Amino acid sequence: MNRIFRNHTAFLLFVIPPLVLYAAFYILPLFRSLQYSMTSWNGINEPVFNGWDNFSKALSDEQFWIALKNNVYFVLFSVFIQVPVIIWISILVSGVRRWLEFYKITVYLPSILSTASVAVIWQFVYQPEAGLVNQLLKGLGLESWVRLWLGDPDTSMLAILVTNGWQWTGFYIVLVLAAIFAIPREILEAGTMDGATGWRKAWFLTVPLIRPVVIVVLLLSITGAMKALDIVLIMTNGGPFGSSEVMATYMYKQAYSYSDFGYANAISIIICLFTAIISLIFHLLTRVRRGADEL
Amino acid sequence: MSYRIRRIVPHVVLLVYVVIVLYPLLFVINASLKNNSEITTNPWGLPQQWYFENYTNALSNALFGRYFLNSLYISATATVLTILLSTALAFALTRMRFRRPGQLVYGFLLLSLLIPPASLLIPLYIMVKDVGLYNTPFALIVPYTTFGLPLTVFIIAAFLKSIPRELEEAGVVDGLSIYGVLGRVVIPLTMPTLVTVFILNFINHWNEFIMANLFLSTQQLRTLPVAIVAFADQFNMNYGALTASITISIVPVIIIYALLQKKIIEGVAAGSIKG
Repeated sequence: MNRIFRNHTAFLLFVIPPLVLYAAFYILPLFRSLQYSMTSWNGINEPVFNGWDNFSKALSDEQFWIALKNNVYFVLFSVFIQVPVIIWISILVSGVRRWLEFYKITVYLPSILSTASVAVIWQFVYQPEAGLVNQLLKGLGLESWVRLWLGDPDTSMLAILVTNGWQWTGFYIVLVLAAIFAIPREILEAGTMDGATGWRKAWFLTVPLIRPVVIVVLLLSITGAMKALDIVLIMTNGGPFGSSEVMATYMYKQAYSYSDFGYANAISIIICLFTAIISLIFHLLTRVRRGADEL
Repeated sequence: MSYRIRRIVPHVVLLVYVVIVLYPLLFVINASLKNNSEITTNPWGLPQQWYFENYTNALSNALFGRYFLNSLYISATATVLTILLSTALAFALTRMRFRRPGQLVYGFLLLSLLIPPASLLIPLYIMVKDVGLYNTPFALIVPYTTFGLPLTVFIIAAFLKSIPRELEEAGVVDGLSIYGVLGRVVIPLTMPTLVTVFILNFINHWNEFIMANLFLSTQQLRTLPVAIVAFADQFNMNYGALTASITISIVPVIIIYALLQKKIIEGVAAGSIKG
């Protein structure tokens, strides 16, 4: 028995191919990125080592700080607006008897569409003349509110955040719903007998019971906000005047518009570090809370 | 009375949410059946005159069938590869008796979930060029397969831990080799989970845009998301053709979703709990 489950050849056969791929296309690029981040390189000539120059350039690059600030907006919008909406809607859906399946199916629909389609659909929704938003405002007689949503530096970032929310809220609702339905019935019934109904029940009973999945949803939306790239690239390309630039689009432009591969790689390392730090802080915070609960 | 209100309020909120989800899609589809002037003069009503030229215009200068097949080929190949490699790896890690190397590999995979794929984009682009994959379908198949591995391995491994070892040991008693145990005992038992990870991976690959846009340069090789964005640029001010091309790109996805929604939603929910 043991001999069969200790078959060295089989073990290597199962483990080596995925690990080779993984090392070659995941780990190696990371190290090469680190290496290129300390060079001045246009992608064609030999890279020239320049130490920390690219990193200090980022620190004094105003446009980079705007991009970073927009990533922070993205994270804050996800955590303080999207996640509460997700929990609220999930609790509402879990409480209805009729049309439960209908709500679940419709709400999830946008997550099945590619970000490219979603971005293009919403470009049309925000279209200045023919788009839904401005047509709606005109229909309601709010002519003065009409604007170039994606072309106005004051609204471009918000317009993207709303689109991103539209696409992903349903995905997370399905995750949270699964967790709510996994709560043993007796616990909820006991709570109801003790007089917990409506909001009290949701806040004091359901939310604490689904905390693990809420933490997962928070973590996924934070890391999702950090790596946001395609939606911004397609909808505004970071514009107008860099008002919707995020770190990933800025990195992309440095490489493919300005051929500054050294600087682009430095930004990709910063994104990586930033995400790792946020995840770590988040991990520590949730662990501290858990520790406090156990006392 | 108050009981009745309490029953109705959630439905009102949820229906508003459903309208927010569906309305932009219906608005686009409705616009695609009007001519350019009617789109601005009659934004809400159904088309006064059904205008199908938008579709012929959009289709006539596109290789839509071609893009569809490209997407299908690349997504399917990458998904099958991801699942083959992940099943073997998850089996080796959870069922075979090599604790130390097993834990090492597992830790290695966990680490990768911290690295956002976006920050690997540029070094990956350089590598794809260096090894000669640039502008071939494998420029996408290989990274998609690799990026799909960690999560897929975790989901399959979580499932494998839940099936009793006795089943595999019974297979060995019946004279199966390690490959026989994997092929005849483990894989049939894992089928529902494999369907779940198949759907999850396929949707991800099908929808990927950045690498598809960057790692392929020939128009003939484009995948659907890249083609849609190119369409949108091309038809920028031609609202009719623009909305028609958006409709062409989303309707097949919505039909497939309507047919498979139960599996897709269950798969995502199950994946989240186990993963």
